[in-house]
Amino acid sequence: MTITTQEIRFRGTPICRGIAIGNLFFFDRKEREVSEVILSFEAVEEEITRFQQALNRSRQDINRLQKKLNDEGALEGAVILEAQLMMLEDPLITTHIEAIIRGTKRNAEFAFKAAIQKYQSKFDALSDPFFRDRFKDIQDISRRVMEYMNKGRAVSLDDVPSGSIVFASELTPSDMAEAESLSIGGFVTEMGGMTSHTAIVAIAKGIPYVANVSFDLLDLSQEYTVIIDGRRGEIILNPTTRTLGKYEKLKTQLQGELKVLEKMASLPAETYDGYRVRLSANIEMSQQLDLVHRYGAHGVGLFRSEYIFFPKNEIPSEEQQFQIYQQLIQKMKGLPLVVRAFDLGGDKSLPGYLPKEGNPFLGCRAIRFLLREKQILKTQLRAIIRAGIGAPVSVLFPMISTLAEFLEVKEIIREIERELGVRPEDSIRIGCMIEVPSAALIADHLAKECDFISIGTNDLVQYSLAVDRGNQVMANLYDPANPSILRLIKLITSEADQKHVHVSVCGEIAADPRFTALLLGLGVQELSVAPRYLPIVKQAIRNTSIVEAVDLAERALCSVNSHEVLELISNAYKDSVPEDNLYNC
Amino acid sequence: MSRQQTQVKSTKLVSKVLVKNPMGLHTRPATAIVKLLQNCKSDVTFTYKKETVNAKSILSILMLAAKQNTRIMISVEGDDANEVMEKLEKLFDNEFGEPSK
Repeated sequence: MTITTQEIRFRGTPICRGIAIGNLFFFDRKEREVSEVILSFEAVEEEITRFQQALNRSRQDINRLQKKLNDEGALEGAVILEAQLMMLEDPLITTHIEAIIRGTKRNAEFAFKAAIQKYQSKFDALSDPFFRDRFKDIQDISRRVMEYMNKGRAVSLDDVPSGSIVFASELTPSDMAEAESLSIGGFVTEMGGMTSHTAIVAIAKGIPYVANVSFDLLDLSQEYTVIIDGRRGEIILNPTTRTLGKYEKLKTQLQGELKVLEKMASLPAETYDGYRVRLSANIEMSQQLDLVHRYGAHGVGLFRSEYIFFPKNEIPSEEQQFQIYQQLIQKMKGLPLVVRAFDLGGDKSLPGYLPKEGNPFLGCRAIRFLLREKQILKTQLRAIIRAGIGAPVSVLFPMISTLAEFLEVKEIIREIERELGVRPEDSIRIGCMIEVPSAALIADHLAKECDFISIGTNDLVQYSLAVDRGNQVMANLYDPANPSILRLIKLITSEADQKHVHVSVCGEIAADPRFTALLLGLGVQELSVAPRYLPIVKQAIRNTSIVEAVDLAERALCSVNSHEVLELISNAYKDSVPEDNLYNC
Repeated sequence: MSRQQTQVKSTKLVSKVLVKNPMGLHTRPATAIVKLLQNCKSDVTFTYKKETVNAKSILSILMLAAKQNTRIMISVEGDDANEVMEKLEKLFDNEFGEPSK
């Protein structure tokens, strides 16, 4: 029975913007008691069949999810599920347990659970925490198998009533993979953070999600109506009629807005006083190009080429790379493509080439790695240059920190072009990524030598403010609205402008429409964003004038702290695009 | 990578390989190994720290928790032993092409 109580509000970490309204469904992962049943001789084979069926159903699930993630381009998740599939074929899970059932004449749940517990203690005994952690995947599948053996329980989100708001202690990648095909309104979890895999998938799918909410004060056996405000990270239980009305209206408005935005695809990315902006896309794979074309992007401002590794698990040969780039270029249908050279190192390790480092973020990564492993660099460049002949293809180098590095890589390109017989006038356009303060400070020297500049604000913020993005403790310090960052951007654009070099921003702030006018006003000519955000950024561009933008930037540059900057741009955004309820809140 | 090959009878090969990749034999390499061995006819085992496990079992490989710079003894016995051993050695040598993000 529903007990009517007053409206309760919780605060958590906003992971994905959006409004969701629905009934609370507690996705309970707690293990039920497993009873031990002694089987009669005749019942044994039947029990084995039941066990095999549970395994089969689990395999089917994971297979389906894995294909889905693959199709969606969420390759990291697909790899995790591939490992889970293999675990479901592992003799230790299949034939070994069948043997136990036959040998001990116990029910499948009991035998299975006992075996899993044995493996668990083996993993717990490992000294290395990284290896100990691998047990999480085994837990994920054992839960699934147990649930299939235990009828009448929510095996997966499939069993959750449509439109529910799912509350769970935490969610696994396979949970998130399932979410879109079901009409789940939103997610609330006790744990999780911005960089977790679940967060990444939720953001990519646009499912309202708030994490780090304590369930202690909730009676999860009760029925609650819940509202998630993913914009503010707020959860409202038992909303009053007034609150409910307000949010229902908001939700309808947001849906309507989305439809309007999508129609803007054919309109130019131009301020209302006619200043043309290049609005491009950041992509990792060719499947994303459908959205790029649909939303009328100028082109691809950043292709993260290291993603071509995933299907093959090793750096492809020149020929293989050539094929990949060529296919990509064809799919571009004449639109410009900027290929970033392999950005490796840091948190992206690579076989045997990387020295052991105490601090990989400050070590052999990106361009430094490429200049040390010239064979890898040359192979990639040859493939890009060959594939790009006659097409609007440019190459971009990550994390340039000195002029010398850039000159070295330029010389290598000239050498390759000479070898390939490319005429100097057909030479490929070369860009420089500025993600490190030292590069920003010598932007004038770099602008003299490059054809275009791309500001990687994600890393620029990290290196300038000396804070690790993934650091939960210092999360507040990582703030792209910090005045220091604005000054660096201004410095870069001023110097580049003098040399008539084009500047683009490809970090996360480019996708936040509140920052659009500011960036334009600071002198940025191109914004490159994840395809999903093309419509909303285009709207922000069209709703401002370059005059306003420059004025806004000037005022922002006078601000002394991030808070001031954020307030300034949020207010300006509210004035320009009052109809957007996603970012105005 | 150092190795010694001994052929016993005509179809059993034994070799020692070095785990080169920084993160050791974790999920990705283990998946790569099992995938490689999926259709092979031979029996394959890994021996590490006096423990011998079935190399076609992903859990067994993970439980070895073999870190970087450790040595694993591979034993392949069967009709396609030569081919399998060669592929495995290559896989270890290429560090399973540890991918990046």
